[in-house]
Amino acid sequence: MTGETQRSGSRVSTAAGPKPGRTRAIRRALALLVLLAVWETLSRIGWLDPFYVPPPSSVGRVVVDLVATGQLWPHLGATATAAFAGLLVGLALGIGLGFAAALSPLVADLLEPVMILLNAIPRVILAPLFVIWLGIGLASKLALATILVTVLIFFAVYNGIKEVDRRLVERIQTLGGGRSVLVREVYVPSVTAWVMGNFKVAVGFAFTGAVVGEFVASSRGLGYLLQFAQSTYNAALTIALILIIMTFVLVLFAVAERLERRLLAWRYL
Amino acid sequence: MLRVRGLTVGYGGEPVIDGVDLDLEAGRFASLIGPSGSGKTSILRVVTSLVQPLHGSVELDVDGRDIGFLFQDDALLPWRTVRQNVTLGLRIRDVASGDADTQADDWLTRLGLEGFGDRYPGQLSGGQRKRVAIAQVLALSPKLLLMDEPFAALDAIVRTRITQDLLDWVEREQLTVLLVTHDLEEAISVSDEVHVLGQGPRATIRARHAIDIPRPRNVLKVRRHPDFGPLLQTLWDELAGEVTEEGIAT
Repeated sequence: MTGETQRSGSRVSTAAGPKPGRTRAIRRALALLVLLAVWETLSRIGWLDPFYVPPPSSVGRVVVDLVATGQLWPHLGATATAAFAGLLVGLALGIGLGFAAALSPLVADLLEPVMILLNAIPRVILAPLFVIWLGIGLASKLALATILVTVLIFFAVYNGIKEVDRRLVERIQTLGGGRSVLVREVYVPSVTAWVMGNFKVAVGFAFTGAVVGEFVASSRGLGYLLQFAQSTYNAALTIALILIIMTFVLVLFAVAERLERRLLAWRYL
Repeated sequence: MLRVRGLTVGYGGEPVIDGVDLDLEAGRFASLIGPSGSGKTSILRVVTSLVQPLHGSVELDVDGRDIGFLFQDDALLPWRTVRQNVTLGLRIRDVASGDADTQADDWLTRLGLEGFGDRYPGQLSGGQRKRVAIAQVLALSPKLLLMDEPFAALDAIVRTRITQDLLDWVEREQLTVLLVTHDLEEAISVSDEVHVLGQGPRATIRARHAIDIPRPRNVLKVRRHPDFGPLLQTLWDELAGEVTEEGIAT
């Protein structure tokens, strides 16, 4: 096998100096610090009205208070429960329905128009209807998060299977494999790649569904707190909650990325 | 081994090939050459049941599972390791996992890929991936091997090496082979007979030439055989006669 070069899994690294990723992180942190300093200064000298744009120090104090008093946790727990449950149910439904539609033209004829319609509208407009049907408890938030995730994953799976590499399908067929082998060896791995490609978006959608559902009608959750902060014109609490939600979702994005790298290890060699 | 009678294949109405007859005896190596779009690949796809013909029949003396098909693309599963790709057909045939792995490693060693079993196809060169695809097919001990320009995308040196390795194996095991190729020199180098398909649409077999060059063959040295040059000229003239201006344009 001499003369046939292979691609190795190793990456080229610089011989000396800071790594590019580290430099970028330092630059970003510095930019953020400068932004916060300018914001704080403008608020303190009165160029920004603290009623509308409270300084970062005030927002920081609200975050610390929310954490220190323990007030945050039940609300975060309620939102996370609705979001995670919606994510799981949405993934299961999206994958199941996507597979069924891709493998059965009859199911596709029934489901595709409904999913196209649901995909075309801003699905959060269903929130009031879910509150009327399911009440202001967990169920209505779960339903909204679920429908947001289901439609996204349905199309990822449905299109993933329809657009699967025909050469791989024919490879399996010429090796003597039937439909079950095709599903196991080609469709499931292809769909895993498609689903994982949309997983981070699904996490964001699940949180959107939970928070918007709480915002519309609820007695707990980060969306409920946001609604409370808005109705009392508490800009510091509003910004603090937005930061908390962003931080939480970013942490979940990082977890989702790790999961993707583990499940799709062959892509990152 | 293989009898094709009156085969007509079409896509969306007009036949690509029309009334093709082709016989292949057991242990023979046949090549099918013809202009682009003449339907060479279609014949292989009908034999492997990937395509249904409009008319005609394909008779085989072997079971469908005894046919090995080497595609133009290596078509390996990118999410499976090299070993898992090689054992794929064996696992489909319910060969025990341990036995399948042993056979796969044995094939990888024979094809110069010892120690590559745990890598993924994306980590290999084009030539190495092609060897994995060959191992995947030969591990099933096919009685009839169909090849659709399997080495077209490889550079000349790698292509020559792999062709020689495969030819050695085919001669040793006396496999029956049907190769589709554009390369006239390759067709003469490896084959016992060359079938010339005319210009499509409605292409038919226009000529059949026996290649009586003794085996075993060396794919480079065979070109110095006195019969090689005249055969190449004959095939060239026949194909040049088939490729009309219209055919080239399409």
